[in-house]
Amino acid sequence: MRVNPNIAPDLLNNLNQIELQQQQAEIQLSSGRRVNMPSDDPAAATADVENQAEQSSTDQYLQNTSSLEGLLQTADSTLSSVVTSLNQAVSLGTQGANGDLSASDRQSIVQQVQGIQSSILQLANVSYQGSYIFGGTATTAPPYALDATQADGVVYNGNTGTNNVQIADGRSIQTNVPGSQIFQGAGGDIFGALQQLVTALQSGNTTNIGTATTQVSTALNYLSDQRVFYGNAINQLNSNQSFLQQEQVNLQSEDNTLVGANMAQVATNLAQTQTAQSAALAALAKVIPESLLDYLK
Amino acid sequence: MPGLTGIMYMAQQSLDATQGALDVTTNNISNASTPGYSREQAVLSENTPTEEGNLTFGNGVVLEQVQSIRDQMLELRISEETQQQSSAQAQYNGLQQVQALFSDPTQGLGADLTSFFNSINQLSTDPSSIPQRQAVLTAAQNLASDFHQTESNLDTIQSGLNQSVGQTVSQINSLTQQIAQLNGQVGEMQKLGQDPGVTLDQENQLIEQLSQLTDVNVIQTEQGFSITTAGGADLVTGNQSFALQTSTVNGMTHVLSQGQDITGNFQGGALGGTLQVRDQVIPGVLNTIDTFASQFATSINNAQAQGFDLNGNAGQPLFSVTAGAGAASSLTVALSDPKLIAASSDGTAGSNGNIANLMAVQTQALPAGADPTDTYANLVSQTGNLTSQAQAEVNASTVSLNQLNDQLGSISGVSINEETTNLLSYQRAYEAAARIVTTVDELTQSVLQMGASAPAAP
Repeated sequence: MRVNPNIAPDLLNNLNQIELQQQQAEIQLSSGRRVNMPSDDPAAATADVENQAEQSSTDQYLQNTSSLEGLLQTADSTLSSVVTSLNQAVSLGTQGANGDLSASDRQSIVQQVQGIQSSILQLANVSYQGSYIFGGTATTAPPYALDATQADGVVYNGNTGTNNVQIADGRSIQTNVPGSQIFQGAGGDIFGALQQLVTALQSGNTTNIGTATTQVSTALNYLSDQRVFYGNAINQLNSNQSFLQQEQVNLQSEDNTLVGANMAQVATNLAQTQTAQSAALAALAKVIPESLLDYLK
Repeated sequence: MPGLTGIMYMAQQSLDATQGALDVTTNNISNASTPGYSREQAVLSENTPTEEGNLTFGNGVVLEQVQSIRDQMLELRISEETQQQSSAQAQYNGLQQVQALFSDPTQGLGADLTSFFNSINQLSTDPSSIPQRQAVLTAAQNLASDFHQTESNLDTIQSGLNQSVGQTVSQINSLTQQIAQLNGQVGEMQKLGQDPGVTLDQENQLIEQLSQLTDVNVIQTEQGFSITTAGGADLVTGNQSFALQTSTVNGMTHVLSQGQDITGNFQGGALGGTLQVRDQVIPGVLNTIDTFASQFATSINNAQAQGFDLNGNAGQPLFSVTAGAGAASSLTVALSDPKLIAASSDGTAGSNGNIANLMAVQTQALPAGADPTDTYANLVSQTGNLTSQAQAEVNASTVSLNQLNDQLGSISGVSINEETTNLLSYQRAYEAAARIVTTVDELTQSVLQMGASAPAAP
């Protein structure tokens, strides 16, 4: 059978193929990625788009989580101070209910309770990064102001709005409880109870003082219930953070499986193409001049 | 029975024939690396013998013809495969540029889309923060400029391909003109009974070049090659060529044959591949991007309208966009005041209630059927798949083209070994024939001396 005498184009074509493979291996080695263009593996490149979007969102959820933690912790520690103050008020009320107290002693108790009243007012007006945290969604002005015309002695300028922030795909968390619910809720009115305690202490009526003290203590229990919301939210954020961090690791490892290059394999491939190249070059150099003429000299 | 003169004459014929064969061999060796050269063979045959009684005497050799060894079917097959390969290669080259626009998942349209939603998500933690609102506006501007950039890059690629259409058409015209001329020469030679091998080699080379440019049907007739486009438009008939014309329609070069627009008929060759990317792939991607830009902007604007800005007013459109072709280029950020982002659902500054509506755009399907991230991912998948298909086609047709060329080479290629063998045997034949001339000369002298008296003894 007659064969194609001109094998140089075939050899050249092989050489081109080898050089193409070599180039691909070099690109993979230097980028660390197996998929550098969508056509390298269209399915993986497409999945990689989703993966990158997911990674980027996860980063954002983590940022949200840590900035919310600051807010919620501020609220929680503020309420903890309110609890301490209310405990003081209860013990002051119990002292004041003692019929043996002199008027001046009782007067000093009144002053102490009034001090507690104003410090709780300040705590209710606490702000985080310029926003008042107990005013519902009315965050630009202090929610509580003194108002002698009100039975409670204060007026609430906030609203009953709540905010939710997304902290993971399909998972969001409520980030505030309106001040009206915390400090003047149906289960216990802190400002009202304190105001009644002051009035009762001023009147010196021990029965009334006892009743008012009980009311303060009821309000304290109610506040503790409200505080649970923040405690829960902080716990939720902490567990969410670990979840997101694990998610990040998962996504990165998935990404690596999708588009990452297996470096050991790529390096081996590169070495193989180099060997193949030398072989092809040697063949090319040897084959071209070889003919019958060489034996006729 | 031929006399001595007859033998001498036969030897001379043999010298002539062998010299002719040597000439063919030399020509083959000289053209061993000429592209498209088909080897030639000296066809030697016996002269008609002379019969005398019951004896038959051979009358020597004659060089009957010089024949070029070719396989016309194989050559046409190569031309077809070349059209496919060039088309796939042209598509691959165009698609490479297109897919590069969607190749980096960490920046560009895809990444900035996610960044935009991240900035909104971040705003939900502190909805009255001006810096965070500004971040949303900046992300929106990045996104708008990505849409512009993608569309303008696609336009640039498209107009680059468009330029090459015009260039390819003028190359086609120049080739068909040359083929028509050669057809004329082939016709003349065939009339004179000559072997048109050399001219056919040239024509085959030109047809192969033509096949790289466009898809053609080649039919061999008595007037040489008759060539039409795959759509049936005449390019070459006999010694006449028909030039393709071009005209510009909507900024795109269209190809006309004798006044008729045949732009849509090209499939193969560089022209077919280029037109495929210019007229099918890029307009498809542009359409997707335009629909995407306009539907995305509308969804965000609708979400804005459901809420209130930092001043307590109803949300205004964040983006301004026109529907239809060019939507991506028309997309701009309509707001410059960060306070105007409608994060609030109740008009208070601290509310982030409307952010849920803005964020919902990220996960809800646009009217076109997929959510924004998926829409972008589909573009990556679409361009990636098209490119990898074109690449696979290039590889497959290169392999079969190599095989066909090998096959043709095994028929028409010049083998130096074979030619050297021929050279040696013709050389020996020539030497032998020359020897016969010498021998007959000696015989003739002997005959002449037969009549003379024997030389006297010294």
